[in-house]
Amino acid sequence: MATLRTPNGFDLDTSGKRVVVDPVTRIEGHMRCEVNVDEDNIIRNAVSTGTMWRGLEVILKGRDPRDAWAFTQRICGVCTGTHALTSVRAVEDALGIDIPENANSIRNIMQLSLQVHDHLVHFYHLHALDWVNPVNALKADPKATSALQQQVSPRHAKSSPGYFRDIQNRLKKFVESGQLGPFKNGYWTNPAYLLPPEADLMAVTHYLEALDFQKEIMTTRTIFGGKDTHPNWLVGGVPCAINIDGDQAVGAPITMDRLNYVSSIIDRSIEFIENVYIPDLIAIAGFYKSWLYGGGLSSQSLMSYGDIPDRANDYSPENLMMPRGAIVDGKLTEIHEIDLRDPDQIQEFVPHSWYAYADEAKGLHPWDGVTEPNYALGDNLIGTSTNIVNIDENAKYSWIKAPRWRGHAMEVGPLARYVIGYMQGHEEIKDQVDRTLSALDVPIDALFSTLGRTAARGLEAQWAAQKQRYFMDKMIANIKAGDSTTANTEKFDPSTWPTEVKGVGFTEAPRGALAHWIKIKDTRIDNYQCVVPTTWNGSPRDNDGNIGAFEASLLNTKVERADEPVEILRTLHSFDPCLACSTH
Amino acid sequence: MTIDATGQEVPETSETLDHGTASHKEEAVYIYEAPVRIWHWVNALCILVLGITGYFIGSPPPSIGGEASSSFLFGWIRYLHFAAGYILTVAFLFRIYWAFVGNKHAKQIFLPPVWRGSFWRELFHEVEWYAMIVREPLKYAGHNPLATLVMHVLFVWCIVFMILTGFALYGEGTGMGSWQYEMFSSWIIPLFGQSQDVHTWHHLGLWVIVCFVIIHVYAAVREDIMSRQSIMSSMFSGWRTFRDDKPVADE
Amino acid sequence: MHETFYDVMRRQGITRRSFLKFCSLTAAALGLGPSFAPKIAEAMETKPRIPVLWLHGLECTCCSESFIRSAHPLAKDVILSMISLDYDDTIMAAAGHQAEAIIQETIDKYDGNYLLACEGNPPLNQEGMSCIIAGKPYLEQLQHAAAHCKAIISWGSCASWGCVQAARPNPTQAVPIHKAPGMPNNKPIIKVPGCPPIAEVMTAVITYLVTFDRFPELDRQGRPKMFYSQRIHDKCYRRPHFDAGQFVESFDDEGARKGYCLYKVGCKGPTTYNACSTVRWNGGLSFPIQSGHPCFGCSEDGFWDKGGFYDRLTDIKGFGVESNADKIGGAAALVVGAAAATHAAASAVKRARHKGGDE
Ligand code: HEM
Ligand code: HEM
Ligand code: NFV
Ligand code: SF4
Ligand code: SF4
Ligand code: F3S
Ligand SMILES: [Mg+2]
Repeated sequence: MATLRTPNGFDLDTSGKRVVVDPVTRIEGHMRCEVNVDEDNIIRNAVSTGTMWRGLEVILKGRDPRDAWAFTQRICGVCTGTHALTSVRAVEDALGIDIPENANSIRNIMQLSLQVHDHLVHFYHLHALDWVNPVNALKADPKATSALQQQVSPRHAKSSPGYFRDIQNRLKKFVESGQLGPFKNGYWTNPAYLLPPEADLMAVTHYLEALDFQKEIMTTRTIFGGKDTHPNWLVGGVPCAINIDGDQAVGAPITMDRLNYVSSIIDRSIEFIENVYIPDLIAIAGFYKSWLYGGGLSSQSLMSYGDIPDRANDYSPENLMMPRGAIVDGKLTEIHEIDLRDPDQIQEFVPHSWYAYADEAKGLHPWDGVTEPNYALGDNLIGTSTNIVNIDENAKYSWIKAPRWRGHAMEVGPLARYVIGYMQGHEEIKDQVDRTLSALDVPIDALFSTLGRTAARGLEAQWAAQKQRYFMDKMIANIKAGDSTTANTEKFDPSTWPTEVKGVGFTEAPRGALAHWIKIKDTRIDNYQCVVPTTWNGSPRDNDGNIGAFEASLLNTKVERADEPVEILRTLHSFDPCLACSTH
Repeated sequence: MTIDATGQEVPETSETLDHGTASHKEEAVYIYEAPVRIWHWVNALCILVLGITGYFIGSPPPSIGGEASSSFLFGWIRYLHFAAGYILTVAFLFRIYWAFVGNKHAKQIFLPPVWRGSFWRELFHEVEWYAMIVREPLKYAGHNPLATLVMHVLFVWCIVFMILTGFALYGEGTGMGSWQYEMFSSWIIPLFGQSQDVHTWHHLGLWVIVCFVIIHVYAAVREDIMSRQSIMSSMFSGWRTFRDDKPVADE
Repeated sequence: MHETFYDVMRRQGITRRSFLKFCSLTAAALGLGPSFAPKIAEAMETKPRIPVLWLHGLECTCCSESFIRSAHPLAKDVILSMISLDYDDTIMAAAGHQAEAIIQETIDKYDGNYLLACEGNPPLNQEGMSCIIAGKPYLEQLQHAAAHCKAIISWGSCASWGCVQAARPNPTQAVPIHKAPGMPNNKPIIKVPGCPPIAEVMTAVITYLVTFDRFPELDRQGRPKMFYSQRIHDKCYRRPHFDAGQFVESFDDEGARKGYCLYKVGCKGPTTYNACSTVRWNGGLSFPIQSGHPCFGCSEDGFWDKGGFYDRLTDIKGFGVESNADKIGGAAALVVGAAAATHAAASAVKRARHKGGDE
């Protein structure tokens, strides 16, 4: 078959050998990927399928809008909180509710701690095994590892040869026991792994350290939201009242000792990111910097809604600390403003998704969005409807809808934010990116790659950890000035609401731009639609044949062994796919 | 032969009377023995307390200030509810016992003779009387069939329901291992789904009883005025007196 | 040679002293007396790791996320030393057919001797294909793994009850594990509900199984009594305010700042069986109520469908409408009252006419 050029400029060729990866593991949720590789083991066609759907948008209909945050938070337990925040913002937008400054600071701290936690866990526990070979770590010399550690991160305390020897011994016993647990059936002999044993041992050690430490990062959300995962939120503010030195303060959710706790967690998070995550990232990237696959849409079409409002209730780009804007057609310097209310900008299409629209030639703006399941497969399917061997991407093939911005498939996520921020001259971002590029001695183009995505995530974790401190200080200053308000309950009672309103809320979730659109009628949810980061990145094709970010990023990648999908995992993981999110 | 509370022998009317044919002057009939009367008023009082405290358990009065230890308002509301619940339950068990040992009227609300055609015919007649289609109700010493059925369904079963669900909720407080939990909560809660559902249905039971009381008190007052026998005073004295000498349907 | 938990801890530089301390902490977390600590120590010193297949159906992965937040014991130590987590698609290195092969390999090697941990649940609608694993319905993977396991753990409210995807109208017809069709009926199931369950409760359940080699005592609904035999309300630190009648009337009011009881803003602590008010969350740091939000009953069956989270009186669904007991009952009482009044008036008129006519 001749190659087919997609409108967004990618060549697809389905003639080669079809390789199936199902399940794609070390992601959240369920996903399938099929690629065609040519005789040179180069990927020429990629098909990504969202393989789960729960129907949250259907379930939300008719419910109390004030409860929607809890339902939508259950869209995902990994990016937990970001949907809840998006949801309360959508309801507040619809009802015209302003939240207090303290609530804004607390929400921002919670959101930032999510960025830090999610990125860290992704890097070490979901992504690292694409680059790091734990079995190879057994060959390492603990002394050399110690030297490497001290070289890449002189300030990290745990760096003695004895420490690494202990870990190595533990690992050795683990491997020798024959019970490899999560490392079982990995691709440990694949030449795609490039790290020397010392770097492998250092990384595996930090895999364990990070597993221990990650549980500390999110305790800020436990203090403010009562538990993690799935902390509690509130339309109109936050549920945690502040009582610093008033009557009976000791029973209050937020007291001086609690603020101290949060403060110390913030400091420790900053420290861990600076001393462990960033040095590891640079060190590992250093060994792989010639592996420049995976760019996909990242140099073409990128989008970020922006987030982290400095002052409460102002969602204009100037007040958002995370960048906002859209880039299309590879014109990196031309940044477009986004209007989530404009029916012509964001639309979702379903010709290749397992949903039915009355007219599938058209896209729908989320306020008019429809979610009606329709599991159907194409004529060229190999297998049966309950035993798919090869999927037919010319027909419906995914539970993910295909959202488009002005008709463009967009990449969202940390890399999109960092490219947009860099192009806008966002000082902190520019500084971080430039330092990283020079540390690795690579040109700016290196950003548009699998590794670029992974690096941007790490830098963002670093930025987010520090910004928590900013909002902590801001809140303390505000309390000092006599304002300890945390909620505005003026319009909490549904009897105060107009009969028909609609709103939209957005955040920058760890994986990218997220928004919820709500319509409220007679105090109940009339329509609720979510367009989620992984819906953007993992989207199937649209009516015109544009491919989404996942599929684009896999094209032209060389795989070492067609039946061992390390490279496919590597690039897909660089997006940190969340399938429960994508289909919801 | 029945003995009333004062120990006097009470004359009973013949069971063989074919109502509607013969005509003879009725004497007063002793129907509600003292235990039934006492039970009735204790029960009514318990229900009043349970209804009010139960309502407040669902929708507590405005919050009060001060130290937590200086007040036990909500604790008292709940305590009263539980105390009244226990009394109601014990009284109800006693009332069941009395259905066995008391006079035949004491059995009526527990055993409406639904298997008898005449019961339904007379019930229909009573409905017509309430619908103001027939000019006169039949005359009864005990409850008329309609009253019997309403009391059986809306009162007896509802109280059984309230006791079961009430103790299921109570057992949650006394905890696993307590007899309340083992006898009630352990199977009733899963039966309803979860604890919150038991609350909801128990709460709904309050309103069934409120409806019953409205109907009951209205009917009692109305019958007192419009029917052919004494009603209200009977629940104080135990005696049923009649305003005419037409035959009694249930004697 | 199988490596034991103790070996691993020792090699990590942990002294015997702190190992024993760990054991007594574990004993305390399990609600056991200090005399159990040596038993736990012994088990950990001698037992090989039990294989675990951790399957994911329709879910949000937050049970796994909760699990890795365990403080005592650390998730790391559970995974490396107590169990052998042979399949868990969220963290396993292998993917695709290499991942799927592990299920069969485990069955072949450990038939009847591995634990099946289920997070999420299978859908029955859409031919079961609203959750696809390896091109087939997740239900098939679940049935196969269940048929050969030793016992099943249902993690979280999804696996235990159905949870959010099973909330009305349950578009995928998701069913909890024990109600999934084609499941073996001879495998014990332990439910650990919660959305998500508390991390330390999850690891304590595993520790208990590993240590005592048996199931903890379960209640009628299959939940371990040690964590689910009491309501949040029974040991809530705000309980004195409940008894006193001191309530938060609206968020951030004076009562909220004083830590009053959240009953009137909808707290379901009185109807929720879970350990939040005792074990608390994230190493005992807080729990929803302590941070000012009412409990909404996330460990209870069908908690999504009981009406608004901020309403004390929850909904009854029927006759196509939703309403609470007071609204339904109040309306009924009003109708009955009005009917009685009308009837009384009609009776009076009739009586008056009658008298007139008769005389
Ligand atoms: C909570 C309130 C009340 C409840 C639950 C209640 C319940 C009952 C029950 C179950 C009976 C049947 C007794 C039997 O045969 O065992 C009964 C009879 C009776 N009640 Fe009540 N009662 C209540 C209040 C009242 C009040 C306030 C009055 C007076 C106005 C009253 C007057 C009567 C009378 C007169 C009878 C006898 C009816 C007849 O002969 O057909 N009740 N009540
Ligand atoms: C006529 C009989 C009764 C009525 C009308 C009644 C009414 C009520 C009502 C309206 C509630 C509030 C339910 C809610 O919204 O959560 C309640 C709660 C309760 N009732 Fe009853 N009830 C009755 C009998 C009983 C009995 C016999 C018991 C047994 C001891 C009982 C025990 C309870 C308990 C334990 C609660 C829950 C208290 C709490 O959650 O704090 N009730 N009742
Ligand atoms: N995609 C996605 Fe999420 C994120 N980040 C949500 O909005 O992961 Ni679960
Ligand atoms: S039980 Fe709740 S927390 Fe756990 S997977 Fe299900 S939705 Fe997520
Ligand atoms: S806050 Fe909730 S759990 Fe605590 S005492 Fe009040 S009602 Fe009970
Ligand atoms: S909402 Fe869930 S986390 Fe605990 S306090 Fe209630 S059971
Ligand atoms: Mg959607």
